[in-house]
Amino acid sequence: MPPVLEFDATSKEYNRFLGGRVIALQDFSLTVNSGEVFGFLGPNGAGKTTAIHLAMGFMRPTRGHGRMLGRPFGDPATRRRIGFLAENVALYHRPAEQLVRFYGALNGLHGAELKRRSREALESVNLYGEARRNVSRFSRGMLQRVGLAQALINRPELVILDEPTSALDPLARVGVRELLQRAKNEGTTVFLSSHLLSEVELVCDRVAVLNKGKLIRLGKTSELLQSTHQAQVIARGIAPGDFAGGLASDGVIKFDVPICAQRAAIEKVWTLGGEVVSVNPLRRSLEQLFLELTGDQTRAANQKDFT
Amino acid sequence: MRHVLLIAVNFVREQRWPILVLMLWVVGFSVLGLVVNLHSAADDVLFIFKQLGVYGIAFAVFFGASAIHNERKTRRILAVLSKSVGRGEYLSGLIAGITLSTGIYCFAMGIAGSWILSGAGFPIDRLWWLMLNLLLACLLSSTAAVLFSTFMNPLFATLGTGLALGLPAALARRFGTEWGYPLPAYSLLEVLLKAAFGPQPPMPMKPVYIAMAEAGIFWILAWLIFNRRDIAVAVD
Repeated sequence: MPPVLEFDATSKEYNRFLGGRVIALQDFSLTVNSGEVFGFLGPNGAGKTTAIHLAMGFMRPTRGHGRMLGRPFGDPATRRRIGFLAENVALYHRPAEQLVRFYGALNGLHGAELKRRSREALESVNLYGEARRNVSRFSRGMLQRVGLAQALINRPELVILDEPTSALDPLARVGVRELLQRAKNEGTTVFLSSHLLSEVELVCDRVAVLNKGKLIRLGKTSELLQSTHQAQVIARGIAPGDFAGGLASDGVIKFDVPICAQRAAIEKVWTLGGEVVSVNPLRRSLEQLFLELTGDQTRAANQKDFT
Repeated sequence: MRHVLLIAVNFVREQRWPILVLMLWVVGFSVLGLVVNLHSAADDVLFIFKQLGVYGIAFAVFFGASAIHNERKTRRILAVLSKSVGRGEYLSGLIAGITLSTGIYCFAMGIAGSWILSGAGFPIDRLWWLMLNLLLACLLSSTAAVLFSTFMNPLFATLGTGLALGLPAALARRFGTEWGYPLPAYSLLEVLLKAAFGPQPPMPMKPVYIAMAEAGIFWILAWLIFNRRDIAVAVD
């Protein structure tokens, strides 16, 4: 099956007002396959939104090219099969149902189908009860949900979401997560850019990390998180100082050892008269991986200690 | 075509307050028609009617110069252009929306003028022809403003439009009507500005055809430029 979204050595540079150029994206190549939930991570200024805007045709690449659903970026007919939610969603001020209908009509829906789909889209984000209320009176979280409704009204094959849960409370976030899961089960491909790493960790099959316009890591979420070669040993009946980095907590001692040295560590615990409670491969959190990859080693180490 | 209509109607809806302000002028003019003695103050009433025509052109330029900028600044353009809407359709929608807005105004002016000025002896068929000329002048002015706004901010787009349309107007006033024909917004407006009670001068058709052709050319140029522009600036 051909890729749903494909960047091929795409670069984007901006001219500065007083001369010079800013490289927002540099030789960026990425392929998103059909049916996957893809996480797109990076610190502020990494080029995530630039990449999304290139894919949507809001910008033209300086070099390279890309394809979305088999057509070059910016093809209006292809966008009929796409759902898009921008970061800091901005919508016209009118009743929610009218607004969703307006965007649905722009995607070629009409008549009874448009009416039905707009009702379904609002129901899917739990806003049908507010359908007649003007969105200018909505909270930011509600606006974000209307934004999601307009993105999903055409039952898209590919949904591109730029920070969809940034303004949502925990309950609404769970709702969005369920919505994404439902979309995935229906075969929709989801391209999710988010700062909420725990969110990405929970829903994404694959993750790409972008930093300073360059792709620095790409892989399956599970593989990226388990690529550490350390194990955590939890034991009792020994002193924290018996092992380097040993921490006492709730009557047990926790310490990390390389996987290859875990047998020796277990034997040492027994020799010292202690008892091994558990030995588990150390699983990094996405947050920790993100900090490591984006160069914040100190915070990554602190994060590790914290967890 | 449906996209163009949706965007046009949406534009009118979004600009309802400026349109209401324009309509208040027409209401004010109508009230004036009720309270003054039309036979003794007919020329004064006609003068005010002409002023209303100039306001229409001014609003058309402001609408045109700021339409794209406002949509980009508020980022609402992203949700619209993320649908199956081409850049050309989007521009057509904006221009159609501005034309619809000024059309509503010209129609209201025509109704008020027919009621008040015809009472003072101004021929109604002539008045509606003047309104068509005014609408065409608004179309040409707004299309020029939209063209400038594809690569300038609203202030410079307004100044650019003012210069582009004002230069032929100055030449026409100095050397004769034909000098205004290369960009005939003023020539079209001049028919209204020179309107008077009594015998009517012949109505020139040449600026009408030129204006229609130039509005089309400006639209194509605006589309060519807008199609190559980055409409979103990265926020991250």
